[in-house]
Amino acid sequence: MTRLQTFWGSFRMSLLHFFADPQWIIPNIIAPFVFTIVALILFRDVSGSVALYAVLGGGMMGMWGNTLYGSGFALAFDRWNGTIEYVLGTPSRLVWIIAGRSASNAVLGLANALAIVLVVAIGYGAFFAIADPILFLLALVLTLTSLSALGVVFCSAFLLSRSAQVMTNGLEMPIYVASGSMFPVALLPFWSHPLSFSLGPTWGIDAMRYAADATYVGLGFGYWTDVLVVLASAIVYLTIGFWLFIVVENKVRRDASLTEY
Amino acid sequence: MALILRDWPPYRIFWSSATFAFKALFSWLRPAMWLTQLLVLPLFQMAFFVYLSRFVNPGTTGVAFIAVGNALQVASFSSIFAVCNLTSEEKWQGTLTPLIVTPANRFPLFVGRAMFQILNSIATIVVGFFYASVVFGVDMSRTDFVALSVVILVTCLAMTGFGLMLGSVGLYMRTAMIIANIFLFIGLLVCGVNFPVTVLPTWLQPVSYAIPMTYGTMAARAAVEGSSLVLLAPVILQEIAAGAISVFVGYLLFLGFEALARRKGTFEEF
Repeated sequence: MTRLQTFWGSFRMSLLHFFADPQWIIPNIIAPFVFTIVALILFRDVSGSVALYAVLGGGMMGMWGNTLYGSGFALAFDRWNGTIEYVLGTPSRLVWIIAGRSASNAVLGLANALAIVLVVAIGYGAFFAIADPILFLLALVLTLTSLSALGVVFCSAFLLSRSAQVMTNGLEMPIYVASGSMFPVALLPFWSHPLSFSLGPTWGIDAMRYAADATYVGLGFGYWTDVLVVLASAIVYLTIGFWLFIVVENKVRRDASLTEY
Repeated sequence: MALILRDWPPYRIFWSSATFAFKALFSWLRPAMWLTQLLVLPLFQMAFFVYLSRFVNPGTTGVAFIAVGNALQVASFSSIFAVCNLTSEEKWQGTLTPLIVTPANRFPLFVGRAMFQILNSIATIVVGFFYASVVFGVDMSRTDFVALSVVILVTCLAMTGFGLMLGSVGLYMRTAMIIANIFLFIGLLVCGVNFPVTVLPTWLQPVSYAIPMTYGTMAARAAVEGSSLVLLAPVILQEIAAGAISVFVGYLLFLGFEALARRKGTFEEF
């Protein structure tokens, strides 16, 4: 119950922080938004389901951008504001506080994704029909969960470093590329495929494309395999994230390096 | 002569500000992390747009256009994002007010702060062109490297001037990070990085030509195709003019926002 209370308290506080200064949504969504428009301009002479790649890819990037920046800056802001000692000094485990913040970022990430899809669809007329809305929603929620879980893993590393902001900037693009957010993973060099397939979002975006377009042929494993892999990846990421947080939390307490910045 | 230059107040302010900014940056940023960022950012930004281009038009020559454009644009992380945030960072560290009450001339003070980012931008672009040639197969056999070097230098200086102009607004706002983020990525859309500026709506094209990067991407592509410095001179001069105007407008904005922030007492608002 205490863990749940911690989770909920952190989730609520994170949302309140966001609504107190909502301008911070701009850094989270500007890159995915611009990338999607660039893609649509590049796709202007191409027919077929490319709008699906651009718009769904933009949505996925919006979710990842928000999760990554949310995770990266959650602790950096605490450092800058001098509140990180108090956060760590509470009897609650840090990982549950971060989990609450990550869940909040995930909810905002979903709103980002929807905003990008809507603006691009209306602004550029890039409409597409979703073949199976229920399966699409399931894939979307699982992808979001997987992205948030990945955010928890990265956040544990951000606790160790004073350079969280730099790492955040550095991690945004690799996931966009490796997950094949806007193009098929098959285009990437063969040696990079293991990295792509180890990322939940790669399977998540594939599942969303399957659900949206009945004629889509992606990774070739089918919708349900994709969904199962996304679910498994979220569980693995969360397990790693929780374990890392325990290790890292003990380390910063022992080394007294928490407020170093 | 050396003694005279050393004693000249603007030079002294510029140099001490540049040295201080360098030391301050590496007091929190590990060199290994800086190097990782230098090597990773250009690679993945270029990869994203190159693979997108290959997906759209397999087998076409558009890859070189996009790789060269992004190799240059990726310097925006230093020349726009980092430079634009200079004033906000002073706010976060609590050093803006002590800095502003000094009688030091603002121009050499903040240009000095941006000095390392000019060098950082140059290094980023060099890495970007290395990837363009080695990883993405851009043919650089006809490249006029003197012309390309001048284009890179001018682009970094002009874009840093543009970043300083944006940073002036941050003096008055709670943070410049929002503007920094917008202009960091908007260049991908309006500066002819991934497609020619002529593809954009007519009403948007003047915005493109107000940003120095637009001239930089045009000149860099021409230099890679073998155009000499003489042939590129008109474009380079336009880029210098765009950069100089940015610096001039930025300086006026800085003085204006400084006066406004003094009157309203908002220097420490963040």
